[in-house]
Amino acid sequence: MAPTLANDGLAPYLPVGIILLMAVTFAVANIVLTMLIGPARKGRTKGMTYESGMNPVGTARKRFNVRFYLIAMVFLVFDVEIVFLYPWATTFRGLEPGSEESALWLGRIMFFLLTTVVAYVYGYRKGVFRFD
Amino acid sequence: MMEKIAILWPEIAMFAGTCVVMLVGLSPRAEVRRQTALLAGVTLAVAGLLAANSPGVAGPLPGMMGFVKGLTAAVGLMLVLLLAGTVDRAEERAIAEGRTAFNPLRSTRGEFYSFFLFSLTGVMLCASAGDLIWLFLALELTSLPTYVMVAMSGKGVRLGDRAGEAGVKYFFLGAMGAAVFLYGFALLYGATGTTRFGEMAAFFAAEGVGPMATAGLLLALVGVSFKIAAVPMHFYTADVYQGAAAPVSAFLAFAPKTAGFVSILLLVSAVGWLPTGGQAPALPGSIDAALWLIAALTMTVGNVLALLQTSVKRLLAYSSIAHSGYMLVGVIAGPGDGSFTQNGLSAVLFYLLAYGVTNLGAFAVLACLERDAESGEVDSAADLKGLCRTRPVLGWTMAICLLSLLGFPPLLGFFAKVPLFTSLLGAGRYWLLVILAVNSAIAAYYYLGLVRVVMLDEPSAESRSVRATPFVSRPVAAVASASAVVLLAVLGNGLMVASQAAGQYQRPAVGDGHAARAEARTSDDARAEARGSDVGAERR
Repeated sequence: MAPTLANDGLAPYLPVGIILLMAVTFAVANIVLTMLIGPARKGRTKGMTYESGMNPVGTARKRFNVRFYLIAMVFLVFDVEIVFLYPWATTFRGLEPGSEESALWLGRIMFFLLTTVVAYVYGYRKGVFRFD
Repeated sequence: MMEKIAILWPEIAMFAGTCVVMLVGLSPRAEVRRQTALLAGVTLAVAGLLAANSPGVAGPLPGMMGFVKGLTAAVGLMLVLLLAGTVDRAEERAIAEGRTAFNPLRSTRGEFYSFFLFSLTGVMLCASAGDLIWLFLALELTSLPTYVMVAMSGKGVRLGDRAGEAGVKYFFLGAMGAAVFLYGFALLYGATGTTRFGEMAAFFAAEGVGPMATAGLLLALVGVSFKIAAVPMHFYTADVYQGAAAPVSAFLAFAPKTAGFVSILLLVSAVGWLPTGGQAPALPGSIDAALWLIAALTMTVGNVLALLQTSVKRLLAYSSIAHSGYMLVGVIAGPGDGSFTQNGLSAVLFYLLAYGVTNLGAFAVLACLERDAESGEVDSAADLKGLCRTRPVLGWTMAICLLSLLGFPPLLGFFAKVPLFTSLLGAGRYWLLVILAVNSAIAAYYYLGLVRVVMLDEPSAESRSVRATPFVSRPVAAVASASAVVLLAVLGNGLMVASQAAGQYQRPAVGDGHAARAEARTSDDARAEARGSDVGAERR
């Protein structure tokens, strides 16, 4: 049967709403409670950017290696891969084993995975994973 | 699914070739890197052969797919010759002289050729589209790589920031165009309840074209007019063609335009050319009027603005706008009785081929010439003064290609333009015929002006200082284009027959539409089933 969420009003979204409410309540309550009952000490060291451990040196406006954008791109490749793999996997479970349909589905995802492999090899040759 | 794969072999070959090209272009060894363009050419040749054997498809335009794919591969092969040396020229020289080592991060050769192939794959996918979503993705696959290619091409010819500016401008306007036609597609889906062209055609045949579908089609046409550089979305053309290197401009004048016209033909043929009250078949009133207006304005704006240009690239850009206007005329005229002279659709397809081949030659001549190291490409008409004396081959190529673009009788452009006129005549659209004729006359002024500069003017000191680029394949592309312009005019009968077969239009039967619609109305389930077993299977 076709999904017809749009016709059912907002009732199906109730669990989502409850989760949202819980998340917001948890976060806000933690902050408020800490402010109210936690001990507060203020000082120069406490106000530094990196409070624990290292002393901050120099300015934050520093040049950084542009190669990071390539790493971000390779990350995107795998990110998109997961986005497609997950719904594929849940549907694939329901297909009859050994049927023509399941073979077709396997073929499709294999083609898709091949494209991500190509992207990965491209990134490798471009030197994304070399940190020198 | 399997029958879909059967028509997709050219695209699959292109994709496989693209992946190889992308990786080979990044090889640390120079002699392997040098094979990138060759591999791209082999890919295109294989795809072209596969396209020649591709079967017909179901739908209103059964023969178009194979023709468009073959045409894409053929012009693509000429473009590969022309694109040589567009990127990485300085880097490769430095590496050859031993000044620097190969740095994959600086190399753009693999990306450039693979983007080129990706874009042509997109054109082919547009031709095999049977679905709005498919068409949208294919159009974007055509366009997205071109934005990067424009920006990338500036480095090789020292256009500097102009190419970057052109790339950004092209990207933002392209994104806006995509948004507009996506909105149109959404409205079309909302109006018909299907994304498939076949079912849409059956729906329109049974129920007529309602206001929502009309709005959707108009938005889709306006959005796609970005790809073909037609009037509401033509503003970028001159700046982008001028900002990009000449080979890339030649590519821009071909790939997105072909994809755009294929999309327009697919969208419009879903509505169909219907006989209205004893007159010749025409598109439904508002769509016909909109296309009429777009075509007339596009021709006129393109030709009038081309009169004012001193830069040859800008002149060719405005002439590219004007040619889009000419081709839209064929869409308005419709399929007629299906013969080559009466069928506007096959006229459009043949014109795409003729324009692709001819325009490539004109840009190739520009790509063969450069000024000294500082100022880069030649661009102004003054640089071409007396080219027939100083470099006869390039000069004559330029003259022949310009005359063919003008539609001068014995050349290919003439045989492409005649069916546009005759199909309009057959459809009885006399006003548009007059506008087309007047525009051809305006075009004669600037084309012949440039021909005079190339053929009759004495070479000046300025134009003598222009030197040739050191790429052998670019003049080869130019000569190939010029000889195709001459030879295809004589021997092109087969191509005309092919384009006539490609432009055959089959009106969907009304009875099917009623049945499909009645079924779709019963419930959502039935609609899901009507969309095809494939989708239904995925739901289970």
